[in-house]
Amino acid sequence: MKKRDEAMALWADFTDGRVDRRAFVLQALGLGVSASTLGAVLQACGGGASAPEGSVAGPASAVEPPIAGELRIYNWSDYIAEDTVPAFEKETGVKVIYDMYESNEELLAKLQIGGGGYDLVVPTGYIVEVLAAQSLLAPLNKAWLKNFGNVAASFQNPAFDTGNKFSIPWQWGTTGIAWRTDKLAAAPDSWAVFHDAQFKGKMTQMDDSRDVIGSWLKFRGKSLNSTSAEELAAAKADAMAAKALLKAYLSAPVKGQLVSGDVWIAQLWNGDTMQAKAEQPAIGYAVPKEGAGIWLDSLVIPRDAPNARAAHAFMDFILRPDVGAALSTFTGYGTPNQAAMAVMTDAVPYPTAEELGRLEYQKDLGAATALWDQIWTEIKAG
Amino acid sequence: MNRLPSWLIVWCAGVYAFLHIPILVLVLFSFNDSKFSVAWEGFTLKWYARLWERQDIVDGLVASLWVATTSTLIATVLGTLLALALARGAFPGRRWLEMLLYVPVVTPEIVVGISLLVLFVAMGLPLGLTTVVIAHVAFNLTYVVVVVLARLAGMDRSLEEAAMVLGADEVTTFWRITVPQLFPGILSGAMLAFTMSFDDYVITSFVTGPGSGTLPVVVYTMVRKNIEPSINAISTLVLVGTVILVTLADRWGRNRPLAGP
Amino acid sequence: MNRSPRRAVLAWFAARPGWRAFGLAGPAVVWLLAFFLIPLGLMLGTSVMPRGVYGGVEWGFTFEHYGRFADRMYLSILWRTAQDAGITTLICLLMGYPVAYVIARSGPWKNFLLFLVVLPFWTSFLVRTFAMIFLLRDTGLINAMLLRFGLIAEPIQMLYTPWAVLVGLVYGFLPFMVLPIYASLEKMDWTLLEAAEVLGARPAARFLRITLPLSLPGVAAGCCLVFIPSLGSFLTSDLLGGAKQILIGNLVQNQFTSARNWPFGSAASFVLMAVVLVGVMVWQRIRDADERAI
Repeated sequence: MKKRDEAMALWADFTDGRVDRRAFVLQALGLGVSASTLGAVLQACGGGASAPEGSVAGPASAVEPPIAGELRIYNWSDYIAEDTVPAFEKETGVKVIYDMYESNEELLAKLQIGGGGYDLVVPTGYIVEVLAAQSLLAPLNKAWLKNFGNVAASFQNPAFDTGNKFSIPWQWGTTGIAWRTDKLAAAPDSWAVFHDAQFKGKMTQMDDSRDVIGSWLKFRGKSLNSTSAEELAAAKADAMAAKALLKAYLSAPVKGQLVSGDVWIAQLWNGDTMQAKAEQPAIGYAVPKEGAGIWLDSLVIPRDAPNARAAHAFMDFILRPDVGAALSTFTGYGTPNQAAMAVMTDAVPYPTAEELGRLEYQKDLGAATALWDQIWTEIKAG
Repeated sequence: MNRLPSWLIVWCAGVYAFLHIPILVLVLFSFNDSKFSVAWEGFTLKWYARLWERQDIVDGLVASLWVATTSTLIATVLGTLLALALARGAFPGRRWLEMLLYVPVVTPEIVVGISLLVLFVAMGLPLGLTTVVIAHVAFNLTYVVVVVLARLAGMDRSLEEAAMVLGADEVTTFWRITVPQLFPGILSGAMLAFTMSFDDYVITSFVTGPGSGTLPVVVYTMVRKNIEPSINAISTLVLVGTVILVTLADRWGRNRPLAGP
Repeated sequence: MNRSPRRAVLAWFAARPGWRAFGLAGPAVVWLLAFFLIPLGLMLGTSVMPRGVYGGVEWGFTFEHYGRFADRMYLSILWRTAQDAGITTLICLLMGYPVAYVIARSGPWKNFLLFLVVLPFWTSFLVRTFAMIFLLRDTGLINAMLLRFGLIAEPIQMLYTPWAVLVGLVYGFLPFMVLPIYASLEKMDWTLLEAAEVLGARPAARFLRITLPLSLPGVAAGCCLVFIPSLGSFLTSDLLGGAKQILIGNLVQNQFTSARNWPFGSAASFVLMAVVLVGVMVWQRIRDADERAI
């Protein structure tokens, strides 16, 4: 069993008396849990430095494994065109098991503990960074990704994964402001709209510390990845001033309330805004002049993926122009696939150079995560 | 028996209305021709038809029914026995055991989910519906025990004693006297257990594996985009199905001379 | 049918009450130990280790996570959670007791009425909550009706208020109150009430002196099953309260997800558990003292 072996290797780094006693207790209970696995599991969730480099899917293997068997995909819900999986199954003969998850953080916790069993997952950029830092991802074998050249230059080599060692891009979008064009005279072009008392009780921000605090950092012209205590204190003050006027912190479910007219101004993703607009035409979308977040969800292969070969095949399949175009047509988000862009009729245009200057990717905050959480709790509790 | 005062009836009708009005809305929206359930847009059956395409929803329902039934059965049997031991026996550690019972009720779900996932991975158990059932029994047990204990408290033991005096052995007495007397408690406990298992998301999402998402897992993953009204449709079908089943079971039960308390 | 082996086994157990209790309690206790206490022990270990930057833990030993609870902010979160849970329990009791009483006295209908109490929960929590949002929101059904009948001039904000959270919590936990109370009322000997009536006791006195005392075990169980889990709830305050307040359940959830601080999340859970277990212990003492008094 490979996982066991790795765990043993990990365990070799830590010899700690307490764990032996625990092992004794566990074995006495006849559970058959070895101390090394338990210790390794808990520890593997924490420090990444000592984990061995993933050995899966290395190009070193002399014999090319066949594209066959089962492929287990773990993705956000409604985030794939309806015929993509059947078409892939038909072409390759691979049987796809397709599951869905609800948040990046739950995905992260599950992968950290080692409870995945999946071959492909679709985290957002900064999560890719965390997973890679903990050696939880299998490096890609570019020889199996013949269509990689279709990725637009601006989405290749992202900061969270230099050289696309572990990831290929799936979809991208921005986090701006959705607004009711029939209730407001002009587009809200600044985060300052959330400080405007005339819209009290008609506005929402997303229920996410990174998005809320990030927007107020941008408002003051700072980076949304700031770790400066001073800048964060200012953002906290702005966020709390806005909280007094907000109806709620509400992420994706705000769409229904935008459509019904309960909410006039909402911090929201561009693609979700377009979905709401399909139901209620009087909805617009604005990227504030101070700047906003841009994100890129990416396909990655977990280190212990049982079928890395088929995972590569699926990645390559997605990178085809027609498949990528169908994907973005379905989701309403932008495609990072230049070749797909060319065959789409109604694509989300790539950000212009000027816009790119205002947009910023989220990066993992590392040790500053604690400070951000403290501030977020203070905002909520205040 | 004297009649119930009318204010009491009105009060209860109010409580039942409180419980069922949101359900009525839910059912109505399963026939609504709008994706976001915002306003009434006209009658449609398309969300029911859509269930044919959404294999994941149907699979989720089947998985949920299986998990809830199995875990309820196990939890009810084990929980009833434990309640009997607690109520009837004076044994060392009883007080501690009683306290241990409240631990699962108070532990936040995410802690249960993550800690069980750590355990299962360490044990090398493959994640799937089996691990979900194990987890559900662990948190359901307590609810069964607490409800059955409430029934046992101060229960009249003279019937049991009479049966024993008349020569019935313990097992016979248990099945013929104790279980029927306890039945309302066991039924209430089992209903709670089933309900909780059928509706659990947080714990399940951690301990489940590829290809075995229960219905709540399927529903929660839709939140980011939009919970499509097919979920209302399948919920409606479950409600209708259960009402029919329970009505039939009730008829059947009443025609049997010895059933029920 | 040869009954002698069965009799022999029974006789053996009858002579050894300790083993008998073990035979009854054993399977459940083993299950709880293996799949609850041991995993929980792991989390207890986690709560005294330094946090890993990316989640999980690093090896070491520290009490800093518990120390954070000296901070007034976390104490006030704990206090607010307890208040919410207390009010929820009280409302559930006021709403649930009469229902349990009526069900227990409704003869052939009782199983069906009981079933109607849990039926709503065989739908999904989220769909139910979204239906409630539809009722409560500014453009929702309740406001529309009130406006139509001229009872109000402007929509009242009901959704995303602390009241909406209470409504959601009461809705979610009501069966946990009704079922145990029903289970203990159902075994009541109603002839006692008739006797009291014949003897001239007024309805209020009959209830306070006979019905209520006999149903107290059910009330206690119901209050536990409502109060304790509602301390850990987090989704209701997010969805119906608009996430503008933070309860201890949200705090724990955040620590395991966005904050990636498993040790602090575990520590917060254990603080919560400690508070509850102390409460249960006190309650046990009082109850045992009562029993001795009788």
